[in-house]
Amino acid sequence: MSAQTPRRRPTGAVVVAPPPAAETRPPESGTPSPPSKTREWRPFLLDFFPLETPDQTRLHRFYDRLREGRLSTTRCRRDGSLHWPPRTACPTCRTEELEWVDLPEHGHIYAFSAVLAGAPLGLESDVPFAVGLIDLDGTPLRLFGRIEGRPWNELRIGAPVRTEAYDIGDGRMFYRFRTTE
Amino acid sequence: MSGRSVAIVGGATTKFGVRPATWSELVQEVGVALDRAVPALRSEAVDSLFVGAAEPERFAFQSHVAPLAAEQLGLKPHHILQRNELACASGQSAIRSAYAAIASGLSEVAVVVGVEKMNLPSMAEANTAMGCVMDRPWDGPAGATAPPFFAMVAQRHMLEFGTTEEQLAAVSEKNHRFANTNPHAQFYEKTFSRDKLLRLPLIAPPLRLGDCSSMTDGAAAVVLTSEEHVREYTDTPAWVRGSGQYSDFHNLAHAGSLTEWNGLRRASKEALDRAGIEVGDLDLAELHDCFTISEIVEYEALGLCPVGEGGRFAAEGRGDLGGDLVVNPRGGLLGCGHPLGATGVAQAVEVYQQFAAAVPPARQVPDPEWALVHNLSGSANVHSVMVYQRGGAA
Repeated sequence: MSAQTPRRRPTGAVVVAPPPAAETRPPESGTPSPPSKTREWRPFLLDFFPLETPDQTRLHRFYDRLREGRLSTTRCRRDGSLHWPPRTACPTCRTEELEWVDLPEHGHIYAFSAVLAGAPLGLESDVPFAVGLIDLDGTPLRLFGRIEGRPWNELRIGAPVRTEAYDIGDGRMFYRFRTTE
Repeated sequence: MSGRSVAIVGGATTKFGVRPATWSELVQEVGVALDRAVPALRSEAVDSLFVGAAEPERFAFQSHVAPLAAEQLGLKPHHILQRNELACASGQSAIRSAYAAIASGLSEVAVVVGVEKMNLPSMAEANTAMGCVMDRPWDGPAGATAPPFFAMVAQRHMLEFGTTEEQLAAVSEKNHRFANTNPHAQFYEKTFSRDKLLRLPLIAPPLRLGDCSSMTDGAAAVVLTSEEHVREYTDTPAWVRGSGQYSDFHNLAHAGSLTEWNGLRRASKEALDRAGIEVGDLDLAELHDCFTISEIVEYEALGLCPVGEGGRFAAEGRGDLGGDLVVNPRGGLLGCGHPLGATGVAQAVEVYQQFAAAVPPARQVPDPEWALVHNLSGSANVHSVMVYQRGGAA
C-alpha cells in the first residue's frame, strides 16, 4: 500500500532518502539508515500536526491509509481491544502484536462546542470552527475532532456525521467529521 | 500520614495580571515579597527549591528553569533542586514534592515557587502553548484547547441536569466579588454583576468570557519545613495533613461522560482519609475554577451536593461566605487570573493567610481549622488535592 503511494514530504521538513519499507526495518532494531547523498536541512518549526513519515513515526501507515480515505486504528491481536488513538503497544497486555482495522464511517455527536476566539498558531484563520466528541457507530470509541458542514450554532447533540480524511495543505493528512443532515 | 509532620510556615504572591515583567523578574519579585512575609527565613537555611512552572519553554523560551529561579532568588539549594510540570497543577505538584522531601527527612527547609509568564505580544503563541497541554498530535490539530473542552462539559451538564447559564454566572460573580478583596488579583476593583456576565461575548459556547479564567502573569511562593523547625518561622503553621492525586486519562477520547469527575472523587477521598476528616469538616476550599462549570462539577465530585445539583448549589450561595463551605475566598482562578505554575502555590498562600487571620475581613472565614486545595490539570484528566490543618501541635 505505502510502497505504491507517492511519498509527499511536509514543506520545510528535513528531507532524507526514502527509507526501506517499515516492514523490513523496524525502527526499534537500531539498524542505521543507509548513507544518503540527498540529505538536506531546511529551517523547520513544529506545528500541531503530526510528523507522519516512516522516519518519524511507527504509525505512518495510519496516515497512508488516510490518504486512501480510510480512517483506521490498531487492534490488539492478543486481547482484541480496539485502541484510540492507534498505538504501537497494547496498554492492557503490553504486546506489540497489533493489527490495523478500518473504523466505521458514520457516527453521532456526543457533545460539541466551537472555538470563537483564542485559536492556536496556524488555526487562527479557521475561527470560528466547531469541534466535538463523536460516538463512532458500532464501536466503543468516542473521537474528538473538527466538525465541518454546518455552522456551530446549527449543530445538535445526536446529529449524524461521517468521517473524512483531508490533506492539510503540505502533503500531510488528517481526519475530521462532516455533518450528514 | 507517615513520616515527619510538615507545614507551610509562610508565603506571598506577586500582583497577578498582565504584567510588564519577564519570567525571571516575576521570580525576583516574589522573592522580595516572600522575604517580607517570612522575616525569619535565611537563604542559608533553604536546602531545597521546587519550581512549579508549566510551560516556560513555550511562553518564555526557557528550559532548565530551576537553577535559573534559584539564582533569581539568591538561593543555593543543596538537597533537592527541581522543576515540577503538571500543566495547570504545576504549583501544587511542587508543593507535594517539597512536602514529600521534608516528610522523608531529605530536606529541612524548602522553598516552593510557582511562576508563569503567559501574556505575549502574540496571544496566538500563548494559545499554542495551551494547546500543547492536550494529546497534541491527535487532539491538537482539531483545535483542542481548554475552552472548547470545558464548554462540552458545560453543554452535557446542561443537557443532563438542566444547569443554566445563570448558574454558571453565579460562580463567576462570587469569585470576582471575592477578588475585589484581593489587591493581588487580576480583576481587583472590577465588578461583574450576573447580568453583565451574561452579556459578555461567547468564547466557546456555552461559555462566555466571564466563564473562563484568564491568561495571567504572576508568581507565588511558600516555605515548608518540618515539625522540628516550624516554630522558628510562625505561630500559625498550615500543617499538611492529606494528599491525593488521580490521573484518569489523557487523550480526549477517554474523557468518558464529561460530567462525572471520578478522578476528583478518588483524589479528594484519599486526601481526606489521610487527614482523618470528612468533607463536612472543611472550613474553606480552594477549588480549581478554571471555568465556572469546573467549580460546579467540583462541588458534586467532592460530595458537597448530589451529582447534577452543583448549579443549584452555586446559585443558592452555598459555596459563599455564610454557606455550606467557603469556596475560593481569594477570588479563585476566575477572579485572580490563572498563571499556570503560580496558581496552586497562591491557593496555598491563601490557606496559610486564612489560618493566620491575615486576610481582609470581607473574605476571612471565621476561625478556620481545615482547608482543602484542589487543582485539576489539562482536560480535568488529572486531579490533585491537599488538605491542611491550622496551628496546634504537630
